[in-house]
Amino acid sequence: MLTLLAKFLKALNSESGAWALAFAFVLGMMMGFTPLWRVHNLVILLIALLFRINLTGFILSFVICSGVAYLLDPWFHQVGFYLLAHESWQPLWQSLYQSAFWRVLQFQHSLTLGSVLISLAFAPILLFASFFIIMQYRKRIQAWFNRLKLVQMLKANRFWAIYSGIRG
Amino acid sequence: MKMTTTKTNPTHVRRSAIRWPGLAAFLIICALLAAFSWLLLDTIIKWTLERSVGTLNGAEVNIESVDHSWSPLGVTITGIQVTDPAQPDFNRLVIRDVTADLNVEQLLMGRFHFENVVSTGIRVHQPRAATGDVYQVPDKEAMKGWASDGLAALNLSMPNVDDIVARLELKTPAAIEQAKATLAEQKSRIDEVRGNIPTAEDLKAYEAELKKITSAEIKTPQQLQAKKEEFEALKEKFEADRAQLKAIKETATTALDKVKAEFAAVSSAPGQDMERAQELMQLNSAGLTEITAVLFGEQMRQWSQYILLAYEQLAPMLARSADETLVKPQRGEGIWFDFSDANEPPSFLIKKAKTEFAWNETILDVNWANITHQHEQLGQPTTFVARADNSNLWQSLNLNGELALTAAGIDAKQQWQVKGIRLDSVQLSEQSEFMANIVAALLDSEGAVSLRDSMFDGGGTVRLSDMQLDASAENRWAEVIASALRQLSRLDINADISGALTAPEFAFRSDLDRQLGSALQASALEAGKTELADLRSQLQEQSNGFLGANEGDLNGISELLSNAEQRDAKLQELLKAKFESAIEDKLKDRLKGVIGGN
Repeated sequence: MLTLLAKFLKALNSESGAWALAFAFVLGMMMGFTPLWRVHNLVILLIALLFRINLTGFILSFVICSGVAYLLDPWFHQVGFYLLAHESWQPLWQSLYQSAFWRVLQFQHSLTLGSVLISLAFAPILLFASFFIIMQYRKRIQAWFNRLKLVQMLKANRFWAIYSGIRG
Repeated sequence: MKMTTTKTNPTHVRRSAIRWPGLAAFLIICALLAAFSWLLLDTIIKWTLERSVGTLNGAEVNIESVDHSWSPLGVTITGIQVTDPAQPDFNRLVIRDVTADLNVEQLLMGRFHFENVVSTGIRVHQPRAATGDVYQVPDKEAMKGWASDGLAALNLSMPNVDDIVARLELKTPAAIEQAKATLAEQKSRIDEVRGNIPTAEDLKAYEAELKKITSAEIKTPQQLQAKKEEFEALKEKFEADRAQLKAIKETATTALDKVKAEFAAVSSAPGQDMERAQELMQLNSAGLTEITAVLFGEQMRQWSQYILLAYEQLAPMLARSADETLVKPQRGEGIWFDFSDANEPPSFLIKKAKTEFAWNETILDVNWANITHQHEQLGQPTTFVARADNSNLWQSLNLNGELALTAAGIDAKQQWQVKGIRLDSVQLSEQSEFMANIVAALLDSEGAVSLRDSMFDGGGTVRLSDMQLDASAENRWAEVIASALRQLSRLDINADISGALTAPEFAFRSDLDRQLGSALQASALEAGKTELADLRSQLQEQSNGFLGANEGDLNGISELLSNAEQRDAKLQELLKAKFESAIEDKLKDRLKGVIGGN
């Protein structure tokens, strides 16, 4: 875990593109929030691996969001259940149910639908928010942060050794 | 030491957005996942079944092992334990193993169609090694507690006469008090008017005065006029006295009626009190008239689990499969919805299934067809047939029925005939003050039950013959029941089933209820005989004492009334019979003389 965190800080402080990190957070969040064994997660994994997205940020986001998802599960279920059970949406669900493509995506599962829709709705917010935070960090906070006595002290311990040993 | 720094211009090489090695990594991950799933498929199926069937069941489901085969595509599941959500220390169902063949064609279309399912070693209501987790408590707690409460509610103590008397609110003392008050009031009224009654001397004086008027010589009209005036004065006295007498008679009559009524009430009160005491003694044993339900109810309810197995076990799970709103998912599980078209084949179907129920060494095969939760799509109900003759446990058994989930609920019907079930050491009551068990008996049963919109309606008969019952009791009251049971050699019990699917209600009745009810009531009266006799004599003594002490007052009123009537009659007689006729005669004679002299 320390290695993972160090890698993340390295990426944050490196020249990795801010968008690459922001997209990593978003993809990790979507994979973390939604049930793992779903076809859409394979697609997310493919995007994360195939495109130049920061994998450390992706994995860290996935791990954190998987934990948060446990807290949000009842909410995801309620949203999915509400939509799937709602009378006016029935024609749409029935037509999607006839399609093998959508069946494979398992939209008819309350938790899957709820978590995917909420993740998709949250994705743009997280994308731009994380991009903004990364940029602000690099512009304003990084130099100030490095000058802090606490950070100077930390740099003397094992974590810093791991951090330094990692190639950016 | 001087440090020199070399300033280099960073050369920005724009890297491609595609990371081709990432594709290779993805393919490797997919391959690993496939291999992982392949190797752990059995565990994944086991885990999935435990979770999904557990969610439908509302309580923990355990599976010992799962084996799959690819050709033909099938699965064998061993050691299934389905926890009873209402009694998590018990499994509602235990299945030794289930084998099922899956239709590949339908599976590719996303439907689970099992061609043939065979399950063996099915037992119901088996104790669990460890308490199962309950995810959703069913609404049938009341029903579960019913039978065990029955024996506790059975009052096995003799009704106590003192308790009865305390609850009785005796009428005799109240009637005496009431009579005393009435008597005092009426006596006071009588005393007020008693002085107004004309005395015998008064009547004699009237008679003499009247005689004087009527016998006097009348020679002139003036004399006639004078006598007439005397007569009128006397007549006014008579009228006044008669008015007094009338008031006295009315008062006395009212007093006499009221006092007589009160005396009658006092006289009859002990009898009424005794009747009520006896009624209460009998009422105290009225709860025992449902002895059939109390004694045989729990055992018959357990038997009914087998008869209603299809409804109690399968129907709720199918209903929950069909209606997502009934299912409360486990944390992180979610619910699968089904949006299949009405003309589409069902998404889950077991075309044929053979379930092998086991009672010790006796096996009963039940053949099922079309098990699904989408009967409207299939157009056919789920059917089940069980037929077995000459087994160790029974001579013949025939059970068949059908079940379908509709928009309104569960519709089902079922009928059964079973003959010659040999019962051996069946415990009926284990209370310390009352033990009863069937040592041996032969049981026949037949009946029919239907389920419309998830409500039961139906019933059956259970005939117990060649019965040997062992019963013992600690007290005399319970001994009456024990004694009656020991003498039973046959018993016909009528069972009615009603109520909702999740909480069926059973009503049992038999001739035993009436017989035992009468015996218990007679016994209650017999036991309280001495105390009741004491109570009777005590009440009678109070009543008679009051009546004896106050009889004189009643007679006094009666005598007063009699006197008043006699004197009124005398006055009446004086007024009409002698006075008027005498005057008239005299006047007539006189007028004749006057006319004849001229």
